[in-house]
Amino acid sequence: MPAPAAPAPQPATRETAISLRGVSIGYDRPIIEGIDLDILKGEILFIGGGSGCGKTTLLSCLTTLRRPLAGSITIDGVDIVKADDDAIRGVRRRFGVMYQLGALFGGKTLLENVRLPLEEFADLPNDVMDDIARAKLGLVGLGAHALKQPSEISGGMQKRAAIARALALDPPIIFLDEPSAGLDPVTSADLDAMIEALNRMLGTTFVIISHELASIFAIGQRFAMLDGARKKLVALGAPSELRDHSDDEWVRRFLNRVPTQES
Amino acid sequence: MSRRSKGADAPVAVSEEAGGVRIAPEGAIDAESIGGVRETLARKLPSRLSGGVTLDLSKVTHLDASGVSLAVFLFRLAKGAGFGFEVTGADKDRRLLIDLALRGQEPQEPAKAPGFVREVGAASIAIRDGVVDLVRFIGEIALVCVHLVRAPQHLRVGDTIAAMARHGSDAIAVVGLLGFLIGAIIAFQTFDPMAKYGAKLQVADVVAVSVVRELGPLITAIILAGRSGSAFAAEIGTMKVTQELDALRTFGIDPVRFLVIPRLIATTIVTPMLSIWASILGVVGGYVILGPEGFTLAQYTDEVRQALTVGGFLQGLVKAAVFAILVAAIGCLSGLRTGQGPGAVGLSTTRAVVAGIVAIIIADSILGAFFYTLDI
Repeated sequence: MPAPAAPAPQPATRETAISLRGVSIGYDRPIIEGIDLDILKGEILFIGGGSGCGKTTLLSCLTTLRRPLAGSITIDGVDIVKADDDAIRGVRRRFGVMYQLGALFGGKTLLENVRLPLEEFADLPNDVMDDIARAKLGLVGLGAHALKQPSEISGGMQKRAAIARALALDPPIIFLDEPSAGLDPVTSADLDAMIEALNRMLGTTFVIISHELASIFAIGQRFAMLDGARKKLVALGAPSELRDHSDDEWVRRFLNRVPTQES
Repeated sequence: MSRRSKGADAPVAVSEEAGGVRIAPEGAIDAESIGGVRETLARKLPSRLSGGVTLDLSKVTHLDASGVSLAVFLFRLAKGAGFGFEVTGADKDRRLLIDLALRGQEPQEPAKAPGFVREVGAASIAIRDGVVDLVRFIGEIALVCVHLVRAPQHLRVGDTIAAMARHGSDAIAVVGLLGFLIGAIIAFQTFDPMAKYGAKLQVADVVAVSVVRELGPLITAIILAGRSGSAFAAEIGTMKVTQELDALRTFGIDPVRFLVIPRLIATTIVTPMLSIWASILGVVGGYVILGPEGFTLAQYTDEVRQALTVGGFLQGLVKAAVFAILVAAIGCLSGLRTGQGPGAVGLSTTRAVVAGIVAIIIADSILGAFFYTLDI
């Protein structure tokens, strides 16, 4: 396994990859309001909170599938809230997304799944695209399974294949939605180590939606916590720092896994 | 990300050594340049390797995940020719990146495609297995039906009535429209040939007999296969994929009694009714063509009444009921036999519709011959 990550870099020294200003998310009514957050280039940021607090809705807004109710989200200098369709298409090539269940295309092999974005957006010969797809699958430990269908591999392998597909166009940002959900602890730890290795070696920014504490403390450089009851971003910082020293009782209880009855 | 081109020439030194070939690219090896690097290599690499391959990264300034595919390509090339592969000039991180990417990349023997005879044999066995499965399933349904006759309180009456509404009354409009149009088309197409023999009014006979005995049940059953057979396969197939069927079984509830029987009873009751409806509108459709030709409604209905027999009417009803049983059984069976994976429900649905229509046509031929032999 790769060596542990370097200590969390100081935010002030890093450029911003994604900037959120006054963002409100929700459907008919806001779930979370007034999010101000700078996601830094090359960091592993976890976004967490209780069930139903708007984590996945926020991910949909960050990945341009939904527009926030208010505020601005800037990716690579483009405000994706106001951008037209052409600009949005350009921004979408700047990030890859791994969905909670993998969302691999069922009728295609893993190789074909990873090749698909290359076929659409890269003008390369078939054998070169194959080798790039094989390299991406190798990076997530699936080099020997390139010709298998998603239905022939386990849930953990499907998630890794989905990460390989998200890496296909070498995007500087990757969003992961609940990567550890439903995985056994060893597979989950393997996945964490792989994310950390890719972050360190490729400098890729990872934005991970999760409330898996083990993963947050293992590889999270910063943790942003949403609270659906107060409808706001209640904490942002190094996970262990927040766990031990946050001013917010709910944040400490969440990160220390304290049951409601004990509060 | 900019669109990557196949790339211009890229600086890659290729030198043959005693132990094999050394490849030393320069500059950035990344998503932008990999196309050019590979083009250069295609020209410079010897057509046949005489030894191992060494990738020298000492002059590479930037290497990204797409650039690593160069190592994958050379590794597979060397291993495929039975030689070794080595990386030099890489720092710890690059070596780790390449080591990760090369895991499990040894070229594998492609799976041998089965021969023609084997494929035909496998397809034949699959068809036989499918027929055996269907017969076994109908037997299973029969056993559950026997149980329900003894213990009728186990029949899910509410589900059966809901299925009758969904697969019966909701189909009235489309079945009626098609029945009407079929009747009109038959009258329209047969009018001129019949007129040559001075038998214009007998077009009513043709319409009545063909619609009531044959096309009414057939059209109704084909709509049933498309509407309801596919819905059964999709509903039950989705339940299987989401483990709802497993949940039923672990409660001790038989999925055949719980899911299949209500649908089967519902379609067996409503399909003959829909068939009668299609036949009535088919006869009406025939009059739409004959009316403007000067025949009165009384003449038309009198001719239709003479052409139809109780036997012919019952023949249509029996066919509709048999088709309904086949469509419902095949739809439900396809759902219960749904495999794993996201495409499985789609496959089941397609299978339900195609197999349903094929079964309808085969059953129609057999029943036609049967009724002819009995002179009904």
